[in-house]
Amino acid sequence: MKIKTTLAIGLATTILAGAAWADEIKVGVITPFSGPFAQYGTQYQQAIETYVALHGTTAGEHEISFIYKDVGGVNPDQARSLAQELLIKEQVDYLAGFTFTPNALAVGPVITQSETPTVIFNAATSAINKESDYYLRTSYTLWQVSVPMAEWAYDQGIRQVVTTVTDYGPGIDAENAFKAAFEAKGGEVIDSIRMPLSTTDFTPILQSVKDQAPDAVFTFLPGGPPTFTYTKTYIENGLKDAGIMFLGTAETEETNLQGFGDLGIGLTTAYHYSSAHESEANAEFLAKLAELHPDAIANWASVGAYDGVHLIYEMVAAAGSDGPAALEAAKGLEWESPRGPLVMDPETRTVVQNVYLREVERNADGLLQNTEKSVIANVGDLGWSN
Amino acid sequence: MDLILNIAVDGVAYGMILFMIAVGLSVTMGLMRVVNLAHGGFALLGGAFAHWLGTDAGLGFWVAAPLAIAAVVVIALPLERLIYRRIYGFGELQQVLATIGLTFLMIATVNRWQGSTLLPIALPDMLKQTVDLGFRQLTAHRAAVIIVGFAVIGALWLLLDRTRFGIRLRASVDNRDTASSLGINTGRIYMLTFALGAGLAALGGILGAELLPIDAYYPLRYMVLFLIVVAIGGMGSILGSFIAALSIGIVETASRYLLPEAATILFFGLVILFLALRPKGIMGRA
Amino acid sequence: MSRLILPLALLAVVTVAAYVLFPFNLAFLTRILIMIVLVMSLELVLGFAGIATLGQAAMYGAGAYAAGLFAIHVWADPIAGLLVGAVAGAALAVLSGLVLMRTTGLTLIMLTIAVAQICAEIANRARDVTGGADGLRGIRMQPVLGMFEFDFIGKTGFWYAAAVAFVIFIALAILSRSPFGLSLKGIHESPERMEAIGVSVYWRRVTAYVLGGGIAGLAGALTAQITQLVSLETFSFTLSAEALIMLILGGTGRLYGPIIGTVIFMWVHHTAAANDPFNWLFVIGGMVLAVVFFLPQGLVQLPTSLTRLVKKGGEHAGS
Repeated sequence: MKIKTTLAIGLATTILAGAAWADEIKVGVITPFSGPFAQYGTQYQQAIETYVALHGTTAGEHEISFIYKDVGGVNPDQARSLAQELLIKEQVDYLAGFTFTPNALAVGPVITQSETPTVIFNAATSAINKESDYYLRTSYTLWQVSVPMAEWAYDQGIRQVVTTVTDYGPGIDAENAFKAAFEAKGGEVIDSIRMPLSTTDFTPILQSVKDQAPDAVFTFLPGGPPTFTYTKTYIENGLKDAGIMFLGTAETEETNLQGFGDLGIGLTTAYHYSSAHESEANAEFLAKLAELHPDAIANWASVGAYDGVHLIYEMVAAAGSDGPAALEAAKGLEWESPRGPLVMDPETRTVVQNVYLREVERNADGLLQNTEKSVIANVGDLGWSN
Repeated sequence: MDLILNIAVDGVAYGMILFMIAVGLSVTMGLMRVVNLAHGGFALLGGAFAHWLGTDAGLGFWVAAPLAIAAVVVIALPLERLIYRRIYGFGELQQVLATIGLTFLMIATVNRWQGSTLLPIALPDMLKQTVDLGFRQLTAHRAAVIIVGFAVIGALWLLLDRTRFGIRLRASVDNRDTASSLGINTGRIYMLTFALGAGLAALGGILGAELLPIDAYYPLRYMVLFLIVVAIGGMGSILGSFIAALSIGIVETASRYLLPEAATILFFGLVILFLALRPKGIMGRA
Repeated sequence: MSRLILPLALLAVVTVAAYVLFPFNLAFLTRILIMIVLVMSLELVLGFAGIATLGQAAMYGAGAYAAGLFAIHVWADPIAGLLVGAVAGAALAVLSGLVLMRTTGLTLIMLTIAVAQICAEIANRARDVTGGADGLRGIRMQPVLGMFEFDFIGKTGFWYAAAVAFVIFIALAILSRSPFGLSLKGIHESPERMEAIGVSVYWRRVTAYVLGGGIAGLAGALTAQITQLVSLETFSFTLSAEALIMLILGGTGRLYGPIIGTVIFMWVHHTAAANDPFNWLFVIGGMVLAVVFFLPQGLVQLPTSLTRLVKKGGEHAGS
């Protein structure tokens, strides 16, 4: 805690007034709570409250509290200045949240200098963790889910695929991952279409896919409106009826799933969490979440935060506010998450997890859900060395 | 050959959706000369009402959609009285600021009421079917939008060129004082025209939701797109907006078929080129 | 120049006071200072010359990427980086301004938006150079003037940004009283009259746009150096629109306008977002409407309005 000592000298009087209890550990959560991506903030906060309700506010001998900060959207300037404010003014010992890659990258120099373990709940670009040793990720990387998708598709007898991804960092990651894995198996990617971020009408793109008549179309889009329109266009333009299989990842995530209606049934995705996952840990999580927030819907962002908090609790119990020691304690940690078994990989600092092949179906209550059809066990961050 | 037909069909369908949403803006911004950035807000309100009436109140699409449009008109009337009436005389920048402020309030209201997730509008089965065009399929929904689009431009032309209301409206806009002295109730004309623009926005928001899905941040997300249609069409011209929307639809669709990766740069490049050569737009008056 | 001494002294006092009063918020204060520089560039373009733009972020982003790339690949000296950012902003303004300044009104607004969108798309597509949507990373600056290391709390960043903001403020104050500044105001009020007395309206507008572009590029360079990361959002429409709101909120025509508008907007945003992020748009929306209706000249008008109100009250009491 070199930084804090320097600070204490520089601003001695003020620090003394606000000195924290030695055994009180603060966690700063930086994520959007306003703007078009406010849903992330809601999902994180609900999941954190659920974890606290189930496991109490203490870890080891330490009392844990959370401070939430709104970053608004993709805004690295704001993310960095909030991180500084949290570290200097609020004296937090851990940072968490981070929905977008640039926001996560922007705090890199700050967390390295202050030796603050930082748990990423969402941002999915592999390279983030190379920027600082203090990043830990409880979400996933695009390689982690795209590669299993490609291998599974080949095993199902699919030989020709067209990939359609949004033309920006994550989309291109997904395209590269899918292509590498699918071609390694012997499949053929006959066309790779990159769709501009501003695309609103996907008919032209999907019509050209249809004209090429591949066995399947692999896609990656940013969440929200584009995903919704793309998927609807896929179905309405008869690609499904023409036997072109839909291969996706996050497209059928739970908060927007019901909006597809009957059209959504049968969509195939590879992903690490479905709220329909059958396990004791998931049932416990969902029951408590529903008790605290009756309208809440659990999705990947929820478990990213839930497991992230678990990781923080374990680090605090093992090392308190000692950043480097906490980091060592986290490496190799194993636990049972609502999504299945997890291991924190010591090298990539991204969780090793099961990836599930799912299909959208109606459940007993008549609601759409992602039903897990098969499992690819213990997948690490396959993008680390690429 | 198929490619050209595909571009034509998808381009017209997309262009017509753009027209449906932008035509209301063309009415308020073109005819009434007020820079109305809150236009998307009225489309948002229309969509949010349609979602709420359809999903939460359980009404069918054919009931929910007209009710939602009516609700937006009902909201627009007092807004015109309280806010817009005062800003007609302001400079452009003040109008920009006022209508952005209003847009923020609309977004915040829908955000508070319905949250920040997508607000899907369930279509009736009839519009979900596909129509076989011989060489390919088209969804019934898009075919319906094309028909409604033509109906709207026809009705507007009749209203503005062939009725007393239209004559009075044009008189009021051209010279408000003279129109008043001739006994035209310009206040009421403005109010009705504004409500018409808002109603059209709501209609466009609901019908266009398949392509531009409704969520609380809809007005900011698509503001630029709507403004481009009006700027290219030329202020004050319904026909201009129509031609502009269709051209944009066809150009964008063609670039997505032929060169998807360069579509954005190509699109804005063409917008710049066109506006530099014809600053007043297609049908703009000098 | 002598008329500038009092306002400058006042600003200096306010800056020092902010530093002393909010030692824990230096990063936030630095962001305000950078934004003030950007809004001042808009004041030059819009307030002085009357060029309506919703695309000032184009030059800001160009400056940010240029300064970032320069620091990574050429030289990590902050001041040199600032100059590179300013040149990049000005260069983009020349390139686009030659076409844009031939238009006015809505057409001009749309063109400025289109330029910013194209820049964002180019930066997105040139992933190998700019990092695309992940952002340009790896910017590590040398100490300012070789002496002041960028520190963790942000002291250096704060004084560095403050110094730049002061320089720009003084430059604009001088410019506004120069013949060129006066001719811009003339163009703003009546382009026809200026044309009639033989002034080339077009070239003056291009010049103003380029100067404004250079200052916006400078602001972008500051942000690149202090955040050490540049994202595509530096080109965003939202940023241009927010800068415009801040300017009109504060009021155009007086150099205090941009400062007051920026500080109030960002402070309200910060406080409202901290207390109730989900609903903060209500506060901003209401504030914007209130200014338009009650203070059409912006917040700089507030003291005059209040004085008038008090005077009026006094007269009534006296009569």
